[in-house]
Amino acid sequence: MATYTSPSTDSSYASRAALWIGRILLAAAALLLIAHTLIYIHYAIGLMRFPFDYDQGEGFELVDTVMFSHGDWPYRSNEVYPFYASNYPPLFHLILVPFVWVFGPAYWYGRLMGFLGTLITASAIGYAVHREGRHRLIAIFSALAFLASNYIYHVGPLFRQHLFMVMFETVAVVVLARVTDRADRKWPRRTMIAGLALLICAGYTKQLAAATVAAVFVFLFLRNPRRAVAWAVPFAGVAGAIFLFINVSTHGEWWTNIIAANVNTFMPQQALDLFRQWWRLHWALVIMAGLFALYELYFARLSLYTIWWAAAIADSALSGKWGAGDSYFATAIAATCILSGIFAARTLRGMWNPADNPISRRLRVLWNRAGTRTVWIRAAALIAVPALYVIYGLSVIHMPTEGRFFGSLSDALNLTSSYGDRYAFYDSAGWVPGYATIGHVPSQTDINNGWRIVDILCASDKPAMSEEAGFSLQADRDVITNPTQLKNLYENDLYDPTNLVNAIRAHDFSVLIFRAQFYPPPVLDAAYEAYYPSEVIVMNGFNYEIWRPGPSQPERDATAAALADLAPGEEITQPISLEPDAAATWITHMLSRQHWERSESAPAANCTAQHYTRDNETLAVEVCPAGDGAELTFGAVATPE
Amino acid sequence: MRDIFRDDFTFTKRHLGVMLCAAGPVLIAAMLAAEWLDADSGGFGLVQRLGVVLGAAALVLGLSLIPLGNQPA
Repeated sequence: MATYTSPSTDSSYASRAALWIGRILLAAAALLLIAHTLIYIHYAIGLMRFPFDYDQGEGFELVDTVMFSHGDWPYRSNEVYPFYASNYPPLFHLILVPFVWVFGPAYWYGRLMGFLGTLITASAIGYAVHREGRHRLIAIFSALAFLASNYIYHVGPLFRQHLFMVMFETVAVVVLARVTDRADRKWPRRTMIAGLALLICAGYTKQLAAATVAAVFVFLFLRNPRRAVAWAVPFAGVAGAIFLFINVSTHGEWWTNIIAANVNTFMPQQALDLFRQWWRLHWALVIMAGLFALYELYFARLSLYTIWWAAAIADSALSGKWGAGDSYFATAIAATCILSGIFAARTLRGMWNPADNPISRRLRVLWNRAGTRTVWIRAAALIAVPALYVIYGLSVIHMPTEGRFFGSLSDALNLTSSYGDRYAFYDSAGWVPGYATIGHVPSQTDINNGWRIVDILCASDKPAMSEEAGFSLQADRDVITNPTQLKNLYENDLYDPTNLVNAIRAHDFSVLIFRAQFYPPPVLDAAYEAYYPSEVIVMNGFNYEIWRPGPSQPERDATAAALADLAPGEEITQPISLEPDAAATWITHMLSRQHWERSESAPAANCTAQHYTRDNETLAVEVCPAGDGAELTFGAVATPE
Repeated sequence: MRDIFRDDFTFTKRHLGVMLCAAGPVLIAAMLAAEWLDADSGGFGLVQRLGVVLGAAALVLGLSLIPLGNQPA
């Protein structure tokens, strides 16, 4: 199985034992990494069968794709109906446009493309490690280690462009890594064009690729500044021309939605917590990668892989932005897998050849003084390298905890769901702010509950304002708003919500569907005033609140005036156009906004009597049927002195 | 300086060391200057502390690279 060379023929019994222990550990690491890959495939297939948003934001990427399929830009004003714009570059969505033409709007092809992207990234990692280390098994381990990461597992098979960007970045780096190595010092033109084109693809898939672009040009500049500048100029020209073309075509909305809207609040503690979590899960690989980087820094030339690794880790600090998270480490994980793989392969094959310099000479003297025998070092490496892959495989364990196979397996391993009853999934990562609470495979109940929400949308011809696009897409209604985009723009003083607020107050939407309420405060205020929470439907462990229209604006104003004028002992009656049950729910919601708490309720004949308290005040409300609607009778209960 | 655009020019470990030695104190100074310019920000924060650590690390790395001389970076 392994291709590494055994210790020299005069090796001792101990080194032969090390060889066998190493082989056993290699087999254990292979089993673990293959198991992780199978779980990843199981998860990917499960997600492709799920017809709604699994991770918040997937549906908006599908909306972008649908808009491109109609020849429209998704970079538009958020202040006019349907109050929607995208904050992502176009490439991932453009690639998926033919699928929309053939299959219509659906999630499976975006998830399939994301999943295939991770397989291509893994293959590129394996290829790079094999090219630099000539060790087939370690190359395969490096590829599978990428897929085994909790972070990659999370995001890989989603309808999200992030890991498609990582794919372009990784392939670009692998293509360009040896471009400066020719004996005649020339940089092959075709290789350069291919690598730089892939970098442009990465940048136009997601803006975060800027760090990889910087890493590539730092590498080229260190090798030869003149040629680096000569290539940087046309590269910047092409990238800039595309940018200008889109910006002019969208009348500046590209800049507003792609650049300005992404200036979010930075939370250093979130970044720090995610770095700690990343280290706790990946330290076995990061140590090998770090040692390789130090080796290149002091005893060899810095490769593109090492510069990319450092840049990617630094770029991961952006995970502290509001709305960012663990996926921001994906590039760093890909680079870590390459560096650790090269380190492991060279260690097992004894391929180290440090340059002769003052530091290496001093180390050699210390080495000789310590009397260290090479055979012992080789024996230790034979055990340590596979042991690190075993430790990594155990550190990143994640798996479903229910189902015929996974239920029995998790019982046998004594693993229970990390999310309690919310959903059945064990995740060794634990949780820190910014870490996505996903990873389980949606159940048939989740699918059925999604269709229940779609049925609610289908009951009206009006569009719904939903925090996720999937329900509107399935109900064939307009997708209204991209909530986080509105929030980001609002916080940067780039969005005036007046039109949307007026539409909400006028009940232009059949229902509102909330999951996290990531809207600008004025939009939420209007929603709280004009709609009320009617029911909660659970899907994927998240509560989807269905908010229905309350009474009309004049009725709301009249009710507010009646309450303001109410004197102790007095009764005021106010008719409203909601059925009695809905009226009772609405008035409780409305009063809760004014800090009234419901204390008791009692049915009385056809009516419902409810009492509310606030500080030392008590308010009695009777809800009775009246024609097609209801009648509310308010009475301020006098408080004894 | 003009040599930098020679066709066979490449950066050495010494060049890299000098650049890191220059970048480290600049980073530390920037972190301290941020505190001086915005004294009401609530103290020397996490980002600033991290910046100082990175600046110091760059300085140490830079100093250790300078003795490696003309070996290519």
